Amino acid sequence: MNAQQELIAALQSIPWFQDLSDQHFDLICSITHLVNVDQDTTIFSEGDKEENLYIVLEGRVAVELFSSVQGKIRIYTAEPLDVIGWSTLTPVIRQRTASARAVLDSRLAAVDGRELRKLCDQDYELGYIIMRRIANVIAARLMITRLQLLDLYAHPQGD
Amino acid sequence: MNSMLTEPTAAVKIDSLLAPYWAEIVEIVPEAEGIVTIWLRFLDQTLQERYSFAAGQFNMLYLPGYGEAAISISSDPQRPELIGHTIRFVGNVTRAVSRLQIGDTIGVRGPFGTAWPLETYQGRDIVIAAGGIGLASLRPVIYQILNQRDLYGRVVLLYGARTPSDLLYSTEFSTWEDNQVEVLTTVDRADESWLGQVGVVPMLFYRLRLDTDSTVVFSCGPEIMMRFVVFEGLARRIPHHRIYLSLERNMKCGQGFCGHCQYGPFFICKDGPVYSFDQLEPFFNLEDF
Repeated sequence: MNAQQELIAALQSIPWFQDLSDQHFDLICSITHLVNVDQDTTIFSEGDKEENLYIVLEGRVAVELFSSVQGKIRIYTAEPLDVIGWSTLTPVIRQRTASARAVLDSRLAAVDGRELRKLCDQDYELGYIIMRRIANVIAARLMITRLQLLDLYAHPQGD
Repeated sequence: MNSMLTEPTAAVKIDSLLAPYWAEIVEIVPEAEGIVTIWLRFLDQTLQERYSFAAGQFNMLYLPGYGEAAISISSDPQRPELIGHTIRFVGNVTRAVSRLQIGDTIGVRGPFGTAWPLETYQGRDIVIAAGGIGLASLRPVIYQILNQRDLYGRVVLLYGARTPSDLLYSTEFSTWEDNQVEVLTTVDRADESWLGQVGVVPMLFYRLRLDTDSTVVFSCGPEIMMRFVVFEGLARRIPHHRIYLSLERNMKCGQGFCGHCQYGPFFICKDGPVYSFDQLEPFFNLEDF
C-alpha cells in the first residue's frame, strides 16, 4: 500500500469522515498527512501558534496544562478517533490552549488547519459538517471538564 | 409494573433482622488510602453455613458505642463462608472500624436490599460503570459472571477514580481481563507517570462500540456520575429498563421502617438499593431528592 492509499484507508476508518461526499473526502485527503510519534514525544505545546488539527488513529496522547506550582497536569487522554488541537478551527483562539504528548507510540492524521479553514470558508456545506463535528468534540470536552471540576470522588463526611 | 424491575432478593437472611450477629474479622486488606476490605466470619458456625447473599446487597455493620453503617458486600456470592466489606473511613462508625484489628468482632445484620438482576440478563452484554468505592457493590457481579462466564456475552468494566492510587481492586484487573472482561479505567488526576486515561467514567462510553440491542448497564458511584452514565446509555438507545443504578442514602433500620432512606415512594434499604432507571426516572435529578 503506498502512502496515499494508506492515508485514504486511515481517513475512511474515521466515522465522521464517512458523512462526507466523495468530493469533500478528496479535499480533506489533499490537506492531510499521517504522522507517527514515538512515546513521550511532544506533538504541540501550550502557547504554540496553531497549525494542524489531529485525529488519533493509534496509540494514546495526553493533553496537558502546565502550572508553575503543580507542574504538568494531565487534563485529558486522547485515544483512537479522538480529535486534538480543535483550537485550530476556532476564530478566537489562535494558539494552543494545552500541550499534547504521546503517552504511547502513536499514529495521527494531521489536517492542515489553515487549509481546512479555507475549505470551510469556500464551501459552506463542508464547513457546516466540519464545524458541527468540532462543536460535538468541544461539547464533549466541556462536559468532561465540568465533571472533573466537581471532584466526584471527594470524600463525603458521615456514615 | 414492569417485569424487569428489581425485586427483593431471595437470599437467605440471618434469623433476626433487628438484632446483630457477631462476626470475627479474619483479614484486613488495604485497598487505597482510607479504604480497606474487611473479611468477616460469623462466630456462630451454623449461622455462617446458612448465610447467603446476592450481588448488590448490603449489611448493616454495628460497633457498640458508635452505631451502625450500611456497607455493600464486596465479595463473591458463591463463597459466602467469608464475607467481604470494602469500607471508606468517613464517619463515626467507619472511623471506629478503621481501628479494629484481625480477631476483633463486629455486629452484622443483613443481607438487605435488592440485587443486580444478573439472572434476568443471561446471554446479554453487560456494561458495568463504576466510580470510586461504587465498585465495591459491583465486584460481586464480576465474580458471579466469572463463575458462569459462558452465560454472558461481552462484559465491559468502565471504572474511574480520583487518582491512579485510588483505583480499587487493581491487582485483580488482569485476572478479570484473562476471563474476557474488558477493563477500561480512568482517573480525574494523574501525573506524568500514568500511562492510562484521564477523564471521567461516562467518557469511557465513547471508547465502546456496543450492540445496544443486547446491552445492559449496571452503574454504581457518585450520583452525578450515574446521571451522565444514564445520559450516555440513553444516547446509545439502551432502553430505560436496561439501565440499573445502585443508590445510596442514609440507611438505618434496613427494613423500610424508620424512613431515613426514603426516596420518593421508595425506601432504598428495602426497595433498593438497585433500581432500574425507569423506576427512578420521575425522581432522578430532582432537587431535594
